[in-house]
Amino acid sequence: YVGHREPPPGAEAYIPQRYPDNRIVSSKYTFWNFIPKNLFEQFRRVANFYFLIIFLVQLIIDTPTSPVTSGLPLFFVITVTAIKQGYEDWLRHKADNAMNQCPVHFIQHGKLVRKQSRKLRVGDIVMVKEDETFPCDLIFLSSNRGDGTCHVTTASLDGESSHKTHYAVQDTKGFHTEEDIGGLHATIECEQPQPDLYKFVGRINVYSDLNDPVVRPLGSENLLLRGATLKNTEKIFGVAIYTGMETKMALNYQSKSQKRSAVEKSMNAFLIVYLCILISKALINTVLKYVWQSEPFRDEPWYNQKTESERQRNLFLKAFTDFLAFMVLFNYIIPVSMYVTVEMQKFLGSYFITWDEDMFDEETGEGPLVNTSDLNEELGQVEYIFTDKTGTLTENNMEFKECCIEGHVYVPHVICNGQVLPESSGIDMIDSSPSVNGREREELFFRALCLCHTVQVKDDDSVDGPRKSPDGGKSCVYISSSPDEVALVEGVQRLGFTYLRLKDNYMEILNRENHIERFELLEILSFDSVRRRMSVIVKSATGEIYLFCKGADSSIFPRVIEGKVDQIRARVERNAVEGLRTLCVAYKRLIQEEYEGICKLLQAAKVALQDREKKLAEAYEQIEKDLTLLGATAVEDRLQEKAADTIEALQKAGIKVWVLTGDKMETAAATCYACKLFRRNTQLLELTTKRIEEQSLHDVLFELSKTVLRHSGSLTRDNLSGLSADMQDYGLIIDGAALSLIMKPREDGSSGNYRELFLEICRSCSAVLCCRMAPLQKAQIVKLIKFSKEHPITLAIGDGANDVSMILEAHVGIGVIGKEGRQAARNSDYAIPKFKHLKKMLLVHGHFYYIRISELVQYFFYKNVCFIFPQFLYQFFCGFSQQTLYDTAYLTLYNISFTSLPILLYSLMEQHVGIDVLKRDPTLYRYHPPNSLS
Amino acid sequence: MAMNYNAKDEVDGGPPCAPGGTAKTRRPDNTAFKQQRLPAWQPILTAGTVLPIFFIIGLIFIPIGIGIFVTSNNIREIEIDYTGTEPSSPCNKCLSPDVTPCFCTINFTLEKSFEGNVFMYYGLSNFYQNHRRYVKSRDDSQLNGDSSALLNPSKECEPYRRNEDKPIAPCGAIANSMFNELFLIGNDSYPIPIALKKKGIAWWTDKNVKFRNPPGGDNLEERFKGTTKPVNWLKPVYMLDSDPDNNGFINEDFIVWMRTAALPTFRKLYRLIERKSDLHPTLPAGRYSLNVTYNYPVHYFDGRKRMILSTISWMGGKNPFLGIAYIAVGSISFLLGVVLLVINHKYRNSSNTADITI
Repeated sequence: YVGHREPPPGAEAYIPQRYPDNRIVSSKYTFWNFIPKNLFEQFRRVANFYFLIIFLVQLIIDTPTSPVTSGLPLFFVITVTAIKQGYEDWLRHKADNAMNQCPVHFIQHGKLVRKQSRKLRVGDIVMVKEDETFPCDLIFLSSNRGDGTCHVTTASLDGESSHKTHYAVQDTKGFHTEEDIGGLHATIECEQPQPDLYKFVGRINVYSDLNDPVVRPLGSENLLLRGATLKNTEKIFGVAIYTGMETKMALNYQSKSQKRSAVEKSMNAFLIVYLCILISKALINTVLKYVWQSEPFRDEPWYNQKTESERQRNLFLKAFTDFLAFMVLFNYIIPVSMYVTVEMQKFLGSYFITWDEDMFDEETGEGPLVNTSDLNEELGQVEYIFTDKTGTLTENNMEFKECCIEGHVYVPHVICNGQVLPESSGIDMIDSSPSVNGREREELFFRALCLCHTVQVKDDDSVDGPRKSPDGGKSCVYISSSPDEVALVEGVQRLGFTYLRLKDNYMEILNRENHIERFELLEILSFDSVRRRMSVIVKSATGEIYLFCKGADSSIFPRVIEGKVDQIRARVERNAVEGLRTLCVAYKRLIQEEYEGICKLLQAAKVALQDREKKLAEAYEQIEKDLTLLGATAVEDRLQEKAADTIEALQKAGIKVWVLTGDKMETAAATCYACKLFRRNTQLLELTTKRIEEQSLHDVLFELSKTVLRHSGSLTRDNLSGLSADMQDYGLIIDGAALSLIMKPREDGSSGNYRELFLEICRSCSAVLCCRMAPLQKAQIVKLIKFSKEHPITLAIGDGANDVSMILEAHVGIGVIGKEGRQAARNSDYAIPKFKHLKKMLLVHGHFYYIRISELVQYFFYKNVCFIFPQFLYQFFCGFSQQTLYDTAYLTLYNISFTSLPILLYSLMEQHVGIDVLKRDPTLYRYHPPNSLS
Repeated sequence: MAMNYNAKDEVDGGPPCAPGGTAKTRRPDNTAFKQQRLPAWQPILTAGTVLPIFFIIGLIFIPIGIGIFVTSNNIREIEIDYTGTEPSSPCNKCLSPDVTPCFCTINFTLEKSFEGNVFMYYGLSNFYQNHRRYVKSRDDSQLNGDSSALLNPSKECEPYRRNEDKPIAPCGAIANSMFNELFLIGNDSYPIPIALKKKGIAWWTDKNVKFRNPPGGDNLEERFKGTTKPVNWLKPVYMLDSDPDNNGFINEDFIVWMRTAALPTFRKLYRLIERKSDLHPTLPAGRYSLNVTYNYPVHYFDGRKRMILSTISWMGGKNPFLGIAYIAVGSISFLLGVVLLVINHKYRNSSNTADITI
């Protein structure tokens, strides 16, 4: 209910629902529950719990050492951890308080009221001014802009600094004053809070005074998220819909599942082994004690008699307490301070990554980020790297290269010293000049490129001289979430068509003759990665309605019924081989009736509360068909500097590099050649849909595996006789469809066969390229390798939102702080500015961390064995009476300071091989000294 | 058309506007520590470094070992077992508890004269002074002269805490089992027994810090009023010696006993035989006799009793092990050096890598 507590008359029965207040709580503890809750959390750790038990045993029974000797270290460890966690939580409290107490403008009964943010309730109407952040998730009601839009940046949510346009609800965008808004009666239905930032479905019923309620769909374009900032708009009104912990931002706070490093796992294995040693030692001593004591003069000589109560105690009880006493005596074999020292080592050690000058990127001013220090040593054991192509291997810095219209190729003018030759028309014809008909098509094509996008124009009034174009036109900067689109719009601009702005649903284009053409934007069928295309429906000034569709060739060609498909397809394929990203453009002329049908279809899908995505997709499917092919574009994506060098080094280090990309095969393969993933002598094995169509999957797989395995047989012989120069290695190319065939469980449940076979092939290939991958498939591949027989350590690196799933899936996730937003970097374990930094990260830092931590852990166990074994032997000389060999103070301090601080320093500083040597010789990465954990 | 290029430049090269707009550069410091370029040294073991090290170890350790071994061999030591479990032993008669007090005399001969100060020890075997129940069984605050602990000893002393409703002073199993035999050594050619010094056998800290008599007047008996003697003792603690500075808790025999031994076979200092003049040996070679007042039973637990006479050197008592260990390590190292030298010499030219890096 908007603005009012009570439901408006005529609304259906209302089920009261409890909404949380707008308090954000990111802290874990409160003042009162800190001690119990923190203690509980700490004692869930096995080692701490073990020492607590030992401590309690010491309190209860008569033991050789006083409770202080084990209580003090435990207390120390617990206190240190508690202080650390308490401090972190205090910081969170402070941040929460600052957040919860910032003032917010409310509308109450038509008046503006200031309140603290935490008093906000669902249904309150909030006014937000420019550059303020939204206090909760709002439904955008109206803005002071006439067209009911506002611009928002979500930099703090997903890192995309571009401005996004949000639209007010159609029926309420007229309310501009507090009084107007105060008089609004409406109800909103929406789904339960969910963490997906880009999805929202809901429905608003606006009650006018007389009429029936007007139902409007609400989508994510109406939703203003908490944490986002209002830009370019003076003020907006919105109604709070999700508050406090139910906001999408808060839901996204929920920490991802903790990754545990392999060393930690082997550490636990060690602990269990040591526990067994401890128990067996105690058992041996207990048994021997009773054997030795069987002669009474040993049990109770005249000089050392027992008390009366001791004599009368039950034999079994006595034996049991003796066993416990031995446990207590030998408990120091389990290092109490190991966890703390290891954690300190990891925490402090991770600073070396952030401090590394070589990994600092001058351009962006960003250094590496360490989001978790738990996985430092995993960097030294990586066996598989899964890398994204776009933005990771390549710059994601798009440049419009050429376009192909009806088979004629156009290349935008070469830029000389930043100046485009002014007198030229902007186009170099390569093929013969087009006919009149072609001319029309050409203009249509450019208009299509100008219109079919979601690029925003950022007015750049503030910039100075050089930015102003000579003809006095307004200079503008294009911002879009997809760099391809920017490149395209800029490319078309160079060809003479300038996209000016979107105003009141009219897109304005400056054409070659400097005339402004206006198109009414009717619908946007937005892009998604499943359809791999987007469309717009526009109405030209002359009243003609067009549907322009732009997308990947594979998704456009099947829907085309007209146009010079073959020529364009040939050109597209040629471009793809050159490593260019291609997009196809098609159009369809719609008549009014058709358009109305489409409108209805879309409206129905958009209002649906459930399965809206699915219904929308179906509607899109129906609309985008029977297209006429216009042409194709090619955009170049340059390789990142030193990407090839890095990949080569990583391969030399024995790491298998897989490229997982959504691009089409030819483009991806070209990139792989460029970055030396595939070399000239690499024999490519293809496992693609095309081949599978020809033969059955079964045959293809077996054939491939035969090739590979026969070769690997000879390979081992080659290796014996040294590295032969013409040694052939294999590269595998697989596409998404083929992969899903392999992964699909078969009816008889023997899908394991294919998977095993596939894995077998993959293992024998030096490089694998997976193209046409959906984000989830990327994660699937990572999972497949992760759980294969050898349990190799996997690393995933990527920069975009589509890589997040694989980053989360892999043992180590690395985000490239790139252009596609920070989502990958936020979800990763480590973030680096450039792909080339991966080399130092793995070969130097990873290697060091691995050596350091393994020596640290091994030392810990070693020193405790050294410490406790004499104690064990001493029992043979003191009548198995649990007499301690060491002084109490020594027992206490041995673990917590005498032997933990020196090794900590060592494990921070140790460099068994110099940094330069490691960088120069990547093969050292595989070489671990025989004493390391693995 | 220039605007196009510039516009593109802005998108491409411009830094993404960071929230908050921090102009401060986040470039890390270029210091040796942060860049992990601290000076380091790592030993690389090659034949050129390993061989000399082996030889040097050999050359240093062998003379040290020989020196220690000779010193140790020059120490005179004699052990006399007087347990008396063998029927032929003069002390055999004392084994039965009926004969009290029991005296026995054992004759022994010193082959060589003992020079310098001679230390007299008693040694016990199979006596578990390190048993935990035994070690605990004492009250340190009582021994430190605490008057409340004197009358109310710690529970640790059980079952030697109270006797006949009186607190035992000193309480506990250790004190109760104090070694109480008396030795006298006589020279056959000289009628008067050799003078044995009672004082100076305990640690200074024990005598002056850890052990104190309870406060009170001059009369020691008065100060221990209200307590009773340990069950096995013949005399109360205030009658251990006539010298007031060596009586009560600060009796040095008592202090030595209270410092428990780490192993079941041990020796404890009993008396000192001081050198009288530089001209005569302290104990010239010849026949001697040991008079024992036998009242400490050890045969119940298969124990042995010994009396030891020993001189000392700068390295303490007789200990041939240290010298042998030095000689052994030195010899092995030298031998290894020779073997490796031969191997290195033989195979240096056959392989390209002269340096065997480990």
